[in-house]
Amino acid sequence: MRRTVGEEIDEATGVGEVYMRSLIRSQFRAAVSVTVTVLLTIASLPLVFAALPGLNDVRVGPIPLPWVVLGAGVYPAVIALGWLYIRYAERAERSFAALVEPRRSKRPRR
Amino acid sequence: MNPTWGIVAVAAVSITTLVIGAFGLRLSRTTSDFYVASRSVSPGLNGSAISGEYLSAASFLGVAGLILVGGADMLWYPIGWTVGYLLLLVFVAAPLRRSGAYTIPDFAQSRLQSLAARRVSMVVVVGIGWLYLMPQFQGAGLTLQTVLDAPRWVGTVLVAAIVTINISLGGMRSITFVQAFQYWLKLTALLVPLMFLLLAWSRDGEPHPVQSQAWLEPLGVATGEHLYSVYAVILATFLGTMGLPHVVVRFYTNPDGRAARRTTLIVLLLISAFYLLPTFYGVLGRIYASDLIAAGRADTVALELPGRLIAGTGGELLTAMITAGAFAAFLSTSSGVTMAISGVVGQAIAAQRPAKGRISSITALRLASVLCISVPLVLALNADSVPIANSVVFAFTLAASTFSPLLILGIWWRGLTAIGAIAGLIGGGIAAATAPFVTLVSDLDGWAGTLLSQPAIWSVPIGFSLMIFGSLLTRSTRPTNVGRTMVRLHTPERVNVDRRY
Repeated sequence: MRRTVGEEIDEATGVGEVYMRSLIRSQFRAAVSVTVTVLLTIASLPLVFAALPGLNDVRVGPIPLPWVVLGAGVYPAVIALGWLYIRYAERAERSFAALVEPRRSKRPRR
Repeated sequence: MNPTWGIVAVAAVSITTLVIGAFGLRLSRTTSDFYVASRSVSPGLNGSAISGEYLSAASFLGVAGLILVGGADMLWYPIGWTVGYLLLLVFVAAPLRRSGAYTIPDFAQSRLQSLAARRVSMVVVVGIGWLYLMPQFQGAGLTLQTVLDAPRWVGTVLVAAIVTINISLGGMRSITFVQAFQYWLKLTALLVPLMFLLLAWSRDGEPHPVQSQAWLEPLGVATGEHLYSVYAVILATFLGTMGLPHVVVRFYTNPDGRAARRTTLIVLLLISAFYLLPTFYGVLGRIYASDLIAAGRADTVALELPGRLIAGTGGELLTAMITAGAFAAFLSTSSGVTMAISGVVGQAIAAQRPAKGRISSITALRLASVLCISVPLVLALNADSVPIANSVVFAFTLAASTFSPLLILGIWWRGLTAIGAIAGLIGGGIAAATAPFVTLVSDLDGWAGTLLSQPAIWSVPIGFSLMIFGSLLTRSTRPTNVGRTMVRLHTPERVNVDRRY
């Protein structure tokens, strides 16, 4: 009898394990990518400001550039990262679902 | 200042909170309702509620006060509280919801199959909760003192009483409505007065703040100690958010993991919008209210500004509006934190008295909420006040050094064992707990004081490495069902695998 991938995962067979590990690894890689992006951009700003004091003389209108970046500019970047992550994570889950249950519509849900 | 409008504002927020709470009472009947609103809250409502709960006295009053005193470097506090949600989104939101547990101790027990890990987590939950509640209560006292000339204890006791009554009435369901409402109240209460303040400022000829380099420029005095402090705040807030008990418990109210992610994105939007505002209050305060720094009352800057810029009833009405928002902040955060820690303590109390059925667990929750609120109440009444936002960072540091490694490693690494986790919780917890003691009790200056009062830079690595090395040393005690747990945490709900475990 042929087993579905869902059953392979339920019974913790070698095949099911491989599918699960690959899903987890792909989700973890997404999380780490977001973290590294944050470290390289937002979290490195204190070092950038410490290294380049000249940035304080750059003005956006009357406001010094660091205030614009820290007071407002960071937030849209955080939201955009969150949005990109969700798109990626949901796509990974969709393709996992398609792999595990190619004919899901024909089967009743448990 | 004429206190009438302030009294009206405080009364209105308090009564509305209690009425919405009572309305929720009719909807909440079962234990599941009481604890997590039956997991039936939509992402929009839940996002508003989470934001409402999250934006505490530290955000509403504390950030403006910090910016008034410290300038550009203080902008890292709200940034950290926002990025904390981003890291929560990518590392824990969906898997934590899929774990199906109510609280972090539940998660620890089911992931690690260890009652001891559950008990240690409970102690940490209560510790974080108390550290978080104390500044909320102190902020309430400070607010009523500023607006109504009331003694400090009045606001503190008032907030504690309302929170206790509200939790006894309705549990989590009513809190969801209350907090969703309070997010919008808080946003309006900072936004509308700000419009008038900016108008008054522009009529005044748009004066610039009296600047010192240290205030105006981030790392204007770039000493190593200074840089260390900034990174301590960054580390504590980035990682601490995911470990706050009142934030985590909210994720169980999402219907599934996908909704948990979407809710978090909405939260990011809502708190980002809010965090644009306190900066203006801090900068305007530097122009018009810099005497508050010397008076040690910087946290009241948002409350003081309207009266100083706008004469007569207009200014009083705006002050009343900000007072209402501040009170909403104290009430929503205190309710959320108290609910979260008394949920945990309530489970423990109920477990001591088995076979009394459902009612006893709700009675246990009510009992626990009284217990959980009295300790920080006593602390708030007796301890010296530290700036609200600094004080809240103690709670973030503790969460970042304990629950953040527990959740990240527990969700993504099969190798975590109960002994490793417990070692990390205890070691990281003790390291992080030095901060409030050193700050409140001693007067250490220089590097020693900085290192001990802002321990995140070393306490977070201690928590992580104790968990990792502790687990590697006890590899043979890995829970046997870790494979199943991983399936449950990471498979999307719609996939038809067995989720009963």
